[in-house]
Amino acid sequence: MQIIENSKIKEKAYVEKLVNGLTVILVPKENTNKKSVIYGVKYGSIDHKFIDPNTKELKEVPDGVAHFLEHKMFEQENGTNSLDVLSSLGVDANAYTTNDHTAYLINATNHFEEAFDELLDYVQHPYFTKDNVEKEKGIIGQEIMMYEDDASSKVYLNLLKCLYEVNPVNIDIAGTVESIQKIDENILYDCYHTFYHPSNMALVVCGNFNPIELLEKIKEKIISKPTQREIKRIYPEEKETVFQDKIEEKMNVSNPIFVIGIKDRPVPAKEKIVKTIVIEILLQILLGSSSELYQELYEKGEILSDISFDYEFSDEYSHIMMAGQSKDPIKILEKLQNQIEKIKQSKIDETYFKRIKKKIYGGYITDYNSTENIARIFLTDYFQGINSFEYLEAFSTITKEMAEEYLNEIFKKENMAISIIRP
Amino acid sequence: MNKQEIKQGITMHSIETDKFKTNLIAVFLTTPLTRQNVTKEALLSLVLHRGSKKFRTQQEINIELEELYGATFDYGIEKLGNNHVLKFYIESIEDRFLPKEEKNLEKSFEMISDIIFNPYVEKNGFKEEYVETEKEKLKQIILSKIDNKGTYAMSRCIEEMYPEDPYGLYKYGYVEDLDKIGAKELYEFYQELLRKCKIDIFISTSKREDLKQLVMENENIKSLNPRDPEYKVNQIEEKTKKEVQEKEEHMEVSQGKLIIGMDILKCEENTRFVSLLYNAILGGTATSKLFQNVREKESLAYSAGSSYLKTKNNIFILCGIDIENKEKTIKIVKKQLEDMKQGNFTEEEIQNAKQGIIETIQTIPYEQDTEITYYFGQELSNTNLNLAQYANNIQQIDKKQIVDLANKIEINTIYFLTK
Repeated sequence: MQIIENSKIKEKAYVEKLVNGLTVILVPKENTNKKSVIYGVKYGSIDHKFIDPNTKELKEVPDGVAHFLEHKMFEQENGTNSLDVLSSLGVDANAYTTNDHTAYLINATNHFEEAFDELLDYVQHPYFTKDNVEKEKGIIGQEIMMYEDDASSKVYLNLLKCLYEVNPVNIDIAGTVESIQKIDENILYDCYHTFYHPSNMALVVCGNFNPIELLEKIKEKIISKPTQREIKRIYPEEKETVFQDKIEEKMNVSNPIFVIGIKDRPVPAKEKIVKTIVIEILLQILLGSSSELYQELYEKGEILSDISFDYEFSDEYSHIMMAGQSKDPIKILEKLQNQIEKIKQSKIDETYFKRIKKKIYGGYITDYNSTENIARIFLTDYFQGINSFEYLEAFSTITKEMAEEYLNEIFKKENMAISIIRP
Repeated sequence: MNKQEIKQGITMHSIETDKFKTNLIAVFLTTPLTRQNVTKEALLSLVLHRGSKKFRTQQEINIELEELYGATFDYGIEKLGNNHVLKFYIESIEDRFLPKEEKNLEKSFEMISDIIFNPYVEKNGFKEEYVETEKEKLKQIILSKIDNKGTYAMSRCIEEMYPEDPYGLYKYGYVEDLDKIGAKELYEFYQELLRKCKIDIFISTSKREDLKQLVMENENIKSLNPRDPEYKVNQIEEKTKKEVQEKEEHMEVSQGKLIIGMDILKCEENTRFVSLLYNAILGGTATSKLFQNVREKESLAYSAGSSYLKTKNNIFILCGIDIENKEKTIKIVKKQLEDMKQGNFTEEEIQNAKQGIIETIQTIPYEQDTEITYYFGQELSNTNLNLAQYANNIQQIDKKQIVDLANKIEINTIYFLTK
């Protein structure tokens, strides 16, 4: 096992790739009775067109299959439902699907052994029938309708529709009420067998345990499968500029809500780390709570909420998002664009830069407050090709000049779009 | 958890823990919930964060927070039983995880105490500009109640159930009150509130000997008077059976939200433990009757479940459904309530419910704010149960007690948010 360590936050992780290809990451912690497990698949909503590594056949499936699979994995052939089994043990169990991965998780203080076995077991044993797939369509249909009524989900999805013309990141993760009707048990089995292969999966455990013993146990539990070549996923060619610069929609909300987005180009894993930190710093400098622009907007009552920031990226997409509530979102966009130009001209103040860097660093340390968060960070970073400690280590290398360079490169007017929901 | 009285009516609770990378300080000001003061209190929580004597502007506050390695200051307002609570939090990294000693905890306490107890004052009042901007902000918060349909439906159901009771008030107050509130009057109101309210200070951090000293020697704390605090001890509320009321409200929605508010007509020593179990079996988990029957068997909903409101002795059922399925869903829900009354649930269901609740209790110490919330709940209800005792009380409950309780649960309101 490879051991990686960070002395500042006093944490270490054991990493091992099993013979069958599964990557196992173990983060042992003392002073806790809680254990968190996350079992992930590098398979998300955008992976709807691929070449079957065994038959070499090109496959295209309806939108929403990854999410549908996540719902159906719990059902077992012996008539039990693993979510019920875990819930009966009192264990906190859940699953989620994102654009680029799916994850199954448990958090347990009692009954860890049984719960861990159940988790490994159910994810490795699919059971789909015509009936149980049909039945799920009603439930997922209501899930989609719930988000339909949720303005903050809508405004976010509309922004992705502005930024991307053809990349499937612009489609709701759950698919649509229409697309899920086309899903059947054969499609689910096909996608399961393609993507749920150990070489396309990772298992992270954080908590109090002996890593050597736990690894042995995992080795026993993972079913070996014939080696599989890498899955070729096919994504449409997306141009570098935004598809549309604005989408507006009306909903029953009290005030307009908006998301401003900046389309960026995906970069290799090594660069992702520095780039993420620099973008986080830049967003604070531009529109964070101590920034000149935020103060002005707040005092004039032009924004009605804090601005929340998000930077999402994978190997296929990369974009920045700034969300808030305002009577006049277009004005916010214009002022932001002016502020970007102003800072490009005047350069970033060194003291300010250092202070914001401290703030962002603190945020990274706080992320290590809970076992479930640590497990989640390691999984998502692993799928990005990153070892999580690299973020903490990168801080000392980050300079104001790097920030200025990225500001010029990424924060361009022609790469920006806005999505607005108005009352 | 260690509880110490700083002065009469002002209590410090220290939680020694080495599970986190952060220190968390929370200060709660508790006062009775009234129609007259509800809006002013909500406004106060907003105005205070604009500036103190030491950190005069929001800018200065934010700069100091950044210097403390991205410490976060947070505030809010909450209804807890018939109390209104102004909540303030500051979270900062513990020194042992920083490149050098920064005295983050000391500086954080200094800051939060200054923001709360030493506000920025001009002409014997709050700064007018701060009050005016925050009035507008509060107005928008009140209006944004409609934005989240699920929480909106829930608070509307509560309002219908408590037309005359303080608990029916909206925690952020009312737009029509705002015009009348001036900067000077609000400041005077705050001085009065500070003289009388219950004050609780929570500090969660790794082992330290000097915490009490840190609090006692703070100038802002020194300036506070001892008090016989005015607040309502949260006791289990006695209820009488009422006629079921049905309410429908129309909005542009694609999914209907069904909320069924129920009264628990029992108030004995152990009612809250029995109620927790009843709720878990009815709709609290993935194996519960509501989740299994409304969602898994009938595919009527994605969310279907129930929650228990301890401070008011209520259980609420929530389902997000297709609008035309309202009657069908109500019928299925009523069947589950009837099954609970008839004792149509197994020992296994009880065991599962117990395990789930006990697991939840045991994970409380793994989230800093949840642990503080737990002990504050104990404080307000004048009880002193530690987590092990709490779990033990759950363990003692048997089926007969749950069936007895089920027969004392009556629907108060059926609320439906629809097209």
